[in-house]
Amino acid sequence: MESGQTQTKSFYSDKLKRAIHLLVFRRGKMPGAKEWELKEKIGRNYEQVLAQLNELLAELDLEVKKVTEPRSEEMSTDAARVGEDEARYFVALKGTMGVKEAKMIGWRIDNLAALSAALAFLISKQGKAPREDVEKLLAQKFGRWKAVTLADIFLRTGYLDEDDAGIMSLGWRTRSEVDLRALMTRMAEAKL
Amino acid sequence: MAEKPKSRRNSLAAGRKELREVVETCDAISERKFNPFFMDVKLGVNTLRQYFPYWENFDDHCLDAHAINRLSEVVRLQNTQLKFQSSALYADPDFIVRKVERMSEKRLAEVFLQSWHPVAELEHLTEGAVTDALGYWNQLLPIEERWKRREYARGKEPSSVDAKALAGLGIQGEEFGKQLIRLWNELRGQYGDKHAPVEYWAFVKGASYSDTVQRAYVVSFLVTYGYAKLRQEGEQMTLVPEDQPSEKAPSGGVSFPIPIPRES
Repeated sequence: MESGQTQTKSFYSDKLKRAIHLLVFRRGKMPGAKEWELKEKIGRNYEQVLAQLNELLAELDLEVKKVTEPRSEEMSTDAARVGEDEARYFVALKGTMGVKEAKMIGWRIDNLAALSAALAFLISKQGKAPREDVEKLLAQKFGRWKAVTLADIFLRTGYLDEDDAGIMSLGWRTRSEVDLRALMTRMAEAKL
Repeated sequence: MAEKPKSRRNSLAAGRKELREVVETCDAISERKFNPFFMDVKLGVNTLRQYFPYWENFDDHCLDAHAINRLSEVVRLQNTQLKFQSSALYADPDFIVRKVERMSEKRLAEVFLQSWHPVAELEHLTEGAVTDALGYWNQLLPIEERWKRREYARGKEPSSVDAKALAGLGIQGEEFGKQLIRLWNELRGQYGDKHAPVEYWAFVKGASYSDTVQRAYVVSFLVTYGYAKLRQEGEQMTLVPEDQPSEKAPSGGVSFPIPIPRES
């Protein structure tokens, strides 16, 4: 019995290690791992492994998140709509960080403010708006030249996306990292 | 009796015009220029119904079908908007714009930070990155060699010049203005009454390489400031002089670099 228990533990420990390596170490352009990768490298019970990993990460204020590309224009945070084959898993901060911490990881306050404004504006426009409208909004607060630079930064870092027609939308990083509902609620509640 | 065909023709033309307007409005809505409810779909459908008996040829029916297609897209967008408005994410865009205007940068940043859960990731070396780095390292010349090249490439140190020197070089002042007008007149002369576009390379070619570069440089100003138009058809470039130059750089212009080979 005892040897059987030890075997089960080591089996899971090995899988946990493989899972965290896949999720944390960046291998391609985007962080995290796709569902099929996890299935292939960890096995069919990868969800159980991730659940166990989640328990461990919770103590470090981290969690395993599942995100997918939206299939239609409709914006939703409903997990039931997630396309199983397209899903991507990654490790993200469970809680939030303060201004000082954000500065420590290389973010400028005005860049965060601009990102906040751009995202709230895009969400209010159902997730899509012409680039010039976004730049116009940013220009009112940060000046015309900086607005263009900021839009480029957000595109480069994956927080925003732009199609050939110059329509901006929420990028993969926003869908992965930002709680849109919380952002809009806090924006509405914010005292001036 | 003579009135009827004329009125039918008018209706046909008016119908085509109205359908095109419906399509254009629908396209603008799809491109997020207007709110989906800006379009009165019922009115649009009634317009299609009104003009349907007048359609004569295949193109008219295609336009009719296209308009229906675009109207259905607007209905879909209206449906999406209604769903969105009933969700917790809905906020009036004007309200957001006003909030952003009035909130401090710090407050905006705090709002974002309270809903931000950044991804934890580690960047590391991969086999591919190591192979690339090794290839780069093996091709890299010793530092002495690279410094030698830099010295060679550096050329003359930058120094200041006065307006007289610039005018002497033909870069600034009346002299340059005269060069522009002279070359413009030359181009107009070659364009002549036949109104045949002038081949670019034949026009800029000078007695020597430096002459060619000088002429190409002045021509670039002619094109930029609306004295001439540069057209490209396949590999051939032609110049067409303008009778009434705008003397202003056109808005929305593009840069078009033309390398000048030594043999030109």
